[in-house]
Amino acid sequence: MIIIEAILLIPLAVAVACFFLPHRRTLEASALLGTGALFIIALMLGIDVLNNGPVQYSYWYVDELSAFMLFIITFVALMVVIYSVSYIGHDYEEREIDLRQFRSYYLMVQLFLLTMLLVVVCNNLGIMWVAIEGTTLASAFLVGFYEKDTSVEAAWKYLVICSLGIALALFGIVLTYASSIEVLGASSSALEWTTLRSIAPELDPTYLRLAFILIMVGYGTKVGLAPMHTWLPDAHSEAPSPISALLSAVLLNCAFYGILRFFIITELCVPGFATTLMLIFGLLSMALAAAFIIAAKDYKRLLAYSSIEHMGIISLGFGLGGYIGIFGALVQMFSHAMTKCLLFFGAGNILQKYNTKSMDEVRGVISVMPVTGALLLLGALAITGSPPFSIFIGEVAILQAGLSNEEYLVSGLYLALLVVIFAAFMYHISRMVFGKTTEGVTKGDAGPISLIPMLLLLGIILVIGVFLPEPFTDMVEQVAGIFPGGRT
Amino acid sequence: MNEQALTGVINGLAAFILLTAFVMVSHNRMNQLVRTFAIQSIALGAFAFAVAYYTGSDHIYVIAVLTIVLKGIVIPQFLKYTIDKIHVRKEVEPLVGIPLSLLLCAGLVMVAYYVAEPIIAGADAVTRNTLAISVAVVLIGFFLMITRRKAMSEIIALLVIENGIFLGAISITYGMPLIVEIGIFFDVLVAVLIMGLFAFRINQTFETLDTTFMRRLKD
Amino acid sequence: MSDLFLDLTFSLLQTLFMLALAPLIIGIIRKVKAKFQRRRGPSIIQPYYDLAKLFHKGSSQSSTVSWVFHIAPYVCLGAVLVASLMVPFFITNTLGVIGDLIVVVYLLAMVRFFMTLAALDTGSAFGGMGSSREMMISAIVEPTMLLAIFTMALITGTTILSDISFNLASTGLDLVHPSLFLAAAAFFVCLMAENARVPFDNPATHLELTMVHEAMVLEYSGKSLAIMELASWTKLVLFAALMANVFFPWGIATEVTAQAIIMGIVAILGKVVLIALVIAVIESSMAKMRLFRLPNLLTVAFTLALLGVLSYYIL
Repeated sequence: MIIIEAILLIPLAVAVACFFLPHRRTLEASALLGTGALFIIALMLGIDVLNNGPVQYSYWYVDELSAFMLFIITFVALMVVIYSVSYIGHDYEEREIDLRQFRSYYLMVQLFLLTMLLVVVCNNLGIMWVAIEGTTLASAFLVGFYEKDTSVEAAWKYLVICSLGIALALFGIVLTYASSIEVLGASSSALEWTTLRSIAPELDPTYLRLAFILIMVGYGTKVGLAPMHTWLPDAHSEAPSPISALLSAVLLNCAFYGILRFFIITELCVPGFATTLMLIFGLLSMALAAAFIIAAKDYKRLLAYSSIEHMGIISLGFGLGGYIGIFGALVQMFSHAMTKCLLFFGAGNILQKYNTKSMDEVRGVISVMPVTGALLLLGALAITGSPPFSIFIGEVAILQAGLSNEEYLVSGLYLALLVVIFAAFMYHISRMVFGKTTEGVTKGDAGPISLIPMLLLLGIILVIGVFLPEPFTDMVEQVAGIFPGGRT
Repeated sequence: MNEQALTGVINGLAAFILLTAFVMVSHNRMNQLVRTFAIQSIALGAFAFAVAYYTGSDHIYVIAVLTIVLKGIVIPQFLKYTIDKIHVRKEVEPLVGIPLSLLLCAGLVMVAYYVAEPIIAGADAVTRNTLAISVAVVLIGFFLMITRRKAMSEIIALLVIENGIFLGAISITYGMPLIVEIGIFFDVLVAVLIMGLFAFRINQTFETLDTTFMRRLKD
Repeated sequence: MSDLFLDLTFSLLQTLFMLALAPLIIGIIRKVKAKFQRRRGPSIIQPYYDLAKLFHKGSSQSSTVSWVFHIAPYVCLGAVLVASLMVPFFITNTLGVIGDLIVVVYLLAMVRFFMTLAALDTGSAFGGMGSSREMMISAIVEPTMLLAIFTMALITGTTILSDISFNLASTGLDLVHPSLFLAAAAFFVCLMAENARVPFDNPATHLELTMVHEAMVLEYSGKSLAIMELASWTKLVLFAALMANVFFPWGIATEVTAQAIIMGIVAILGKVVLIALVIAVIESSMAKMRLFRLPNLLTVAFTLALLGVLSYYIL
């Protein structure tokens, strides 16, 4: 079995290639080719895992959850690389960036991708930490890509706040390791997730409780859970739009994956502790995001706050638990990645057309860029949970989990916040899409290369929302199966 | 060396590491901050050596050497180079006065003691008592981060937190698996390099290293 | 001989010893400082001559002063001497029965109290200024000193100073704890501050901007000045003895044999002279701090002492 090494080597090879390739087109081609191959291999591995069970050898471990994440990461990465051809190419043509920056963009994207892939395929929780810290380091350059004062500020904040949070998570890992070697003795497998899961009931609950709090706060910083979210809107709004999509759709999920690994172990050891914490952070994030969505002035920040909201919803889903809650949370993870990717692409097209991020200065997108405008509007409907898109299914499942657990207060708050966010979000977006066209903006939509991935993404969430295809539900069901209480 | 003397040395080094954290709080010059950080890291390396000698495990020796070389020499030299290269005012300019900072940090040590107590009660390593010190160093690092708003001092605060966690890892588990430790060292090194690079950029774009100037991004 | 009688004899002896030694130690400090400044400097027994001269001189006083001013020198010297009865010097037999470390610390506080009262009593502007500065310093020094010695009390399990020395000296190195060094460092800062040494005060200055201690004794002359000076010199030796015997008592006599006592005398003389040398070196290599910077240094000392206590519980 070398398939996992292949998954890690491809982005590395592409990154090395990017370092040497001389032209714009060759850079783009190598990135497209590499990411495409990556997606296919990851898909093959994923199907294999779903059919034949987890793959585990040397440092690697890929189970259904990892395969699910691999699929999201590689697919979104492919979409982002396709979209980048249009977006970063536009910047290059406008002379906003030079070839050096152009090359370093593709290089850093591949390294960023590499670290995220490493997060989901490694078995050792310590190495997972190293990889998650690696994602921060690799993406900091991308956040500060434009080298303006605001982007440097955002990158610095991102680096410092996330490194701080991650440091806390490291303390949590130390504690987990301490409780593990108490059972096993000093063994090199004591930090491996498979080992930890098998000995979870014997672990010291005091250690594990404290460890989970630290992990939740630490990785939660990276996930963007309130109140540790402060870096997120800055980084998302300052990064180039394809990177915003990558951050929001994949990075946040990767960090969440880090929490989930510990969540499973903690739930097996001290049932009920981790879920309560998830519940609290989830509701808090939703409430905070709602307030900021109402007051938003910058559309990329609006989308960023919506990411915080969705991370809150996912957290709530896992917190409510049970098969239906976990099912909802997983559907939400998937659909949010697809939909948010679509929205950031739309935002990127608008930004390049209007040259402003302020919502007050963007009017009449539908008449200037008909396809982008329509896609943006549909995306906004999807992200706020309107049927027939797939987020609706996730949100309803989570509501159902709340009601069946008799958590009426939580469910009520959840529903109220969803309604508020729906109203505020649609208000902002519809003002941008309709209305009298801003003066001085020439008509003409973005090129087809940027529209194809958007259409594709919309197609996916629509198909899942309408038909709920069996392969998809099977996959989610299998992934839910590895969570305690996640079997039907 | 007999066991008692060895635990004496281990405890003494832990106390010394805590002391250096306090000394850092009392500094008002960037260069002093870097120097004390180097001293702290070397003490941490010595601590790891003592623990390695006590437990006789080879991989802690490796960690000790790495700590001294990377955190004690390479990183401080790099930070010093960055500070010299960026011609800015070298005062730390704390937001909270030094006497009050010191007292607050002493309070943090007490908090650390209470936080660490339940864990210490459950552990059986000889070095378990130093866990409270490690928590204290982490908390003091956070305090430095909050009250010293310059890019360079934020980097050092982050490194102090890292040192604290490292001390904790050796205290309760005699160090993590070697591959993880090496990964962590790699991350720390890369993080410092990248942050140093960004410090240059901040200096270019804001003409100061004071991060309180960075208030453009808000809602 | 009963134990109490033995304790009484030795504590009286030690007190006299300290009293007699005090001018010599000051002489040594001054000599070393002179050497640092490349001067020949006065002889090390010059302070004895100074005292003798002052005792023979008449004194002139302001006509407005009250009885407080007159009794202050006697109270100060008296309090220092009573405190010395409870502090071990070359042997651990002292009058511990009459008071522990808290009594000693507050006897020393009484010295300060009367000195400031007397300075205020003269109505001179310098006196008032010196008093207010002294009080500002002592507000932090006093708790620091208590905490530092209290750390040692924790380690040895007793608050009686001679028992602290005895326990430490007789159990060898087993009681050595990181706290000891933290507390010792804190106490040393207190020693410098309490005895008006650089960087807190400059004992050789008469510049109004910087005076603290000198401003307070400015109005004294003749015999009362001699007593005042002798009291503060003895206080320095007392602090040196505390530093030496509470934190590093090894070498002190723990039993009443001629050999042990000679050993103890040699040890304490060595330690006190060493402290005097350290003081002289610090005074020669450092400038006096600005008054407003003093709280920084003093809080560092306080934090050190607090850390001493905390790390005793932690480690």
